[in-house]
Amino acid sequence: MNRVLAIARNTFREAARNKILYSLLFFAVLLIVSALALGQLSLNEEIRMTKDVGLTGIDFFAVIIAIFVGVNLLYKELDLKTVYTILPKPIRRWEFVLGKWLGILLTLAIQIGIMGLVLSGILVAQGAAPDAAIAKAVWLLFVNVMVVTSVAVLFSSFSSPFLSGFFTFGIFVVGRSVPDVRLLARKLGGAAQAGLEGVTAVIPNLHLFYPSGAIVAAERVSLHRDFVTPAYMLWTSLYGVGYSVLVLGLAMLIFRKRDFV
Amino acid sequence: MSQRMGIATDDGAAALRAESLAKTFHLGFFRKKVEAVKDMSFEVKRGEIFGFLGPNGAGKTTTLKMLMGLIFPSRGRVEVLGLPVPTVSAKRRVGYLPESPYFYDYLTPEEFLDFMGALCDVPSAVRRRRADVLIKRVGLDHARGRPLRKFSKGMLQRVGIAQALVHDPELVILDEPMTGLDPLGRKEIRDLILELKHEGKTVFYSTHILPDVELTCDRVAIVVQGRLRDVGPLSQLLSTRLISTEVVLRVPVAAGDGGAELPLPAGARRLPSAEGLAVELPADGDVDGFLRQALAAGAEVLSVGPRRESLEDLFVREALGGEAAAGREARP
Repeated sequence: MNRVLAIARNTFREAARNKILYSLLFFAVLLIVSALALGQLSLNEEIRMTKDVGLTGIDFFAVIIAIFVGVNLLYKELDLKTVYTILPKPIRRWEFVLGKWLGILLTLAIQIGIMGLVLSGILVAQGAAPDAAIAKAVWLLFVNVMVVTSVAVLFSSFSSPFLSGFFTFGIFVVGRSVPDVRLLARKLGGAAQAGLEGVTAVIPNLHLFYPSGAIVAAERVSLHRDFVTPAYMLWTSLYGVGYSVLVLGLAMLIFRKRDFV
Repeated sequence: MSQRMGIATDDGAAALRAESLAKTFHLGFFRKKVEAVKDMSFEVKRGEIFGFLGPNGAGKTTTLKMLMGLIFPSRGRVEVLGLPVPTVSAKRRVGYLPESPYFYDYLTPEEFLDFMGALCDVPSAVRRRRADVLIKRVGLDHARGRPLRKFSKGMLQRVGIAQALVHDPELVILDEPMTGLDPLGRKEIRDLILELKHEGKTVFYSTHILPDVELTCDRVAIVVQGRLRDVGPLSQLLSTRLISTEVVLRVPVAAGDGGAELPLPAGARRLPSAEGLAVELPADGDVDGFLRQALAAGAEVLSVGPRRESLEDLFVREALGGEAAAGREARP
């Protein structure tokens, strides 16, 4: 486990010294703060506006960072040939992939944590009471990027960053629209229905991690009223972790078989 | 005992053993077969310095990557100190420097060596001590706080050698360790390789810089076009037979400008020389007769030198032999 942690620590250190990630974090915080200005345009709905714009900002930037870092995670090691120094050390290939993944999750957790704290600070400054819904929503967005990162790592284990980014973003868009795709499938019927349902069975249901406004257990959940239940949080988190582990396992298998020419 | 194409029988002494190693790549859309390494068997004894020689593209790096588990062999097997490759227990006892190494450039040498030590399960306190010693040993004490992105190629090569030694391995495998180094740097690395041998370590390194091999290696293997051509101690691989005799004369003006009128025996040829008339006589040439004739013409003999096979001659002979063989194979 020490070897995995050494890889994770170095991956985090690499991200912490990457100026591009600081720039993205800066723009994310800027977007969240801009919710203050947008709130002024709405009538007595400042807090609602801050929550919506802030969480959208966290979601958007966290996914962009996850895809950007995830698709480069293994490819960069191959492209820069650092893998030729690491893998001859007494480390197993799956330990290397796991360490890289953990390191990037730690990076994302800190970034999302900072964005969540900025959002909470603004809400408190606007006079809102501390709200568990924001903490729950931010946690779900973290599980969301865990899944997206795992998918990106899977693609990066055999593909170029451009293609990996393209496929991962495609999966994110379809995954976020799973309820709509299922609705479309039912409307189309026949072979199209079977095909689309097959797609939704394989692709991660990322809509689960952004449920505000959706019907959950026959009730509409909203950030602005009672948000999701603890049971929903638990099962959704388990789904996200389970899906990530499965996808990461596949990435490890592919990485294990590769020749590093 | 020269071990041409063979494997020695002393199992207990083997630091590294490759048996019938082969690698075939399938390249491009049409999966064109390229045989990079063909049926290679050799053994490296514990405590020796073993040179792995070959021209560019001979399959040296592919072989080394198979030894380190970076590339899976199509056929054959590798054992390190009696352990199969790639396993964690085998890798724990081997240090490896890749060709033209590139490292995490945001790290300083200290941070990098600490990270490499952690991957080898070296305890934290030992890592710090070893990093300190190794940084001094490879001559980077002045740059220990500088990020690797500011290092020259030669400095990176030194960092690479330090990271290969961070876990105090028994076997050190170096892929082109002299590349990118100036003459002084090459000498320092040569000395380091000899020091490692004196510490009881086995060193296996690939190169095409032949003078370094002559100065350091106990045994060498020559690989050409993916095939092992020769394995053995240099003294046994190099032929002791006479190739030619070089005679340098100072000739009087009467013998013609630069000795132009001095008749040369059959098979002899003039060599460019700043000293006077230099003549290369074939191995079976009549050296005595030529000298008598030159002295009679009033020439002064400056030197007479027999020329025997050098490592360069052997290397060229094997490389050209390999190409000729490949040409014959290619012809219908």
